[in-house]
Amino acid sequence: MKSSKSFFLLGIPALFLAASVSAHSPKEHMKDVQQKPDCAAMKDMDHSKMDMNDPVMQAMMQKCMKDMHQDSPASNGTYAGHQQQSEKAEQSKPPRHAHEK
Amino acid sequence: MKSRPLLSCGKYLLGTGLFALAAGMAFLYSGWYPIGADVPHNGLTYWALETLRERSIARASADIEVPGDLGTPKRLLAGGADYNDMCAGCHLRPGEKESDFTLGLYPVPPNLSLPHAQADRKDLTAQARRRFWIIKHGIKASGMPAWGPTHDDERIWNMVAFLQRLPELTPEQYQILTARSDEEAMPQGAIQDGNQP
Repeated sequence: MKSSKSFFLLGIPALFLAASVSAHSPKEHMKDVQQKPDCAAMKDMDHSKMDMNDPVMQAMMQKCMKDMHQDSPASNGTYAGHQQQSEKAEQSKPPRHAHEK
Repeated sequence: MKSRPLLSCGKYLLGTGLFALAAGMAFLYSGWYPIGADVPHNGLTYWALETLRERSIARASADIEVPGDLGTPKRLLAGGADYNDMCAGCHLRPGEKESDFTLGLYPVPPNLSLPHAQADRKDLTAQARRRFWIIKHGIKASGMPAWGPTHDDERIWNMVAFLQRLPELTPEQYQILTARSDEEAMPQGAIQDGNQP
């Protein structure tokens, strides 16, 4: 009797707890690490050595473009301001990226 | 008459084998082998375990098909964030030389941020297969977990893609590529690929 009672008291909650542990999404990693890309560091990099066809450089540009869009005050303000900011960002992109959606 | 020496030879071999088995079992149960991670294996044990590991991985990963788009920015961004969260503690970031894990784990996890020897395309393919298999399945008694049960193949290939470029990254490039934003937290396919026409 005692053992069956302890099974219900401890075993069942433990079973539910175990069942809730499953595959996790990248969002769960974000709980532990909340850091923003330090895009200001890109300004200090030697631009003459940067190859815009290099996937690493393209990935950095992608990341920092998104970051700039998120951080710009225009993105929190009016639609016109946001659109203006987007146009500026599009113009500053190298020709290879002109087709990006 | 001729079978008698053969019989005695067989008995001798059987006796030796049984003795070796008994001695091995006695050693196993004695607890004399130093199992602590702070005492290295002897040369023979290290060689045997390393050979076992490498041969097993090579055989198991031989038929894995490597995606042709490992070099895309999309994969670098997705894989970089996961590497930073899941792997960098043991396999280090650019500019790091050690961590608590590299000092405490045995065998010492390889520093994947260091430049590796120039490899030809065939080697790179084999290396990609090997890394994919290790990330997915882990390695017994080494501290390397199997990420397969919680991460799908695409995410693992993203990490493999990032590993290929990791030794070339500066600490600043690494920080930008691995920092997570809301975009990276979106499901697979949501991140746009700058290489697509």
